[in-house]
Amino acid sequence: MSTVQPPSPGDIETPPGAGDAQAALHDRISADSLTTRRDYLRIVATVSGGLAVGGLAVAGGVLHRHGEPAGGGVPQAKKIADGLPPGESLSFRYPGEEDRAVAVRLEDGSLVGYSAVCTHLACAVLWRKDRGREGELYCPCHEGIFDARTGEVTAGPPPRGLPKVVVVEEQNGSIWAIGTTRSGESVEAGLCRQLLDERPDFAARVGCPGAATQQAPGVDPRQQSRQT
Amino acid sequence: MTHPHLPPSPGGPPHPETSAGAPPLPNTPADAPARPDYRPGSADPRLNRPMRERYPQIRATSGYGDPRVRHTGPGPGAGSEQEPERSAKLTARLVLALSVVIGQLWALTITVNEWMKGDTSTAWWGAGFLCLSFLAVLLLWLLDPKDR
Repeated sequence: MSTVQPPSPGDIETPPGAGDAQAALHDRISADSLTTRRDYLRIVATVSGGLAVGGLAVAGGVLHRHGEPAGGGVPQAKKIADGLPPGESLSFRYPGEEDRAVAVRLEDGSLVGYSAVCTHLACAVLWRKDRGREGELYCPCHEGIFDARTGEVTAGPPPRGLPKVVVVEEQNGSIWAIGTTRSGESVEAGLCRQLLDERPDFAARVGCPGAATQQAPGVDPRQQSRQT
Repeated sequence: MTHPHLPPSPGGPPHPETSAGAPPLPNTPADAPARPDYRPGSADPRLNRPMRERYPQIRATSGYGDPRVRHTGPGPGAGSEQEPERSAKLTARLVLALSVVIGQLWALTITVNEWMKGDTSTAWWGAGFLCLSFLAVLLLWLLDPKDR
């Protein structure tokens, strides 16, 4: 071993006439920096802290649930069409103008509605009546497929079913959207969850579990509508 | 030129600085001073500079940036880790921390999914798991702060 100190980095020069290739190699070597395992450990700790903060933010409600009113509560009823023939679909916005939704009249006359925002990466979900046994809700981005009758995932990468949009048909054939549910939630549970907070009288009238049993004096005319 | 911290040559006079840091020789008297506590690095601050400053010819990217460099010295392990046990512990800490972060990624997907489904209580459990995992990684990071 020798104590002769090596020259400083500035003394290392590319030999004259070495060519552009060697000069480029010299530049690349000089530009790279050494990342040690201790540096990696520090980076990993930083990433871990970021994930923890992200988890707290998610649990605290920083994300917007698709198909849910921005301020919570019961969304306002909205007329979306005068009629819908069997096998056809209708795109609309509900409950907010940013919430894409789709209503579908199945071949047997059933009327269903869902959020049209794919639960995978929020692409638009399309109604494809030529696919599946009675049509499918199809996300073309990553081949996600949802059952047309329940909204549950039948194929592809979406992690959960589509939130429902409760659509009802009036006696005159007009179609209204009157509420939303969350993924995997039944229509009854979703409506009762929203009604129990703001309209407990109506919740009791429609038989929501946990609601008071007194009758409400005023009744919304759409209560009489038929959900098919 | 002879390095001042190296043991003296067999025929030469004993070096005054070698009696403290080097292991006792067979003819060392029993009342020799105790070995000092281990401190990583050298007693000569000049030798504790980053490796790229001590050996600029080797370059900071030795082994992957410069295709001409395959080893950092003429002998096995020269110029790099002198204590493989400490190196292994550091690698183990890094591997454990990476495993915990992978678990955190999984937990975050669960947390987001449960929150979007409306199950906020499960989402808060997931957030708690993420925070505990962060504490575990922090512990791994701070396990040996004196390590250089």
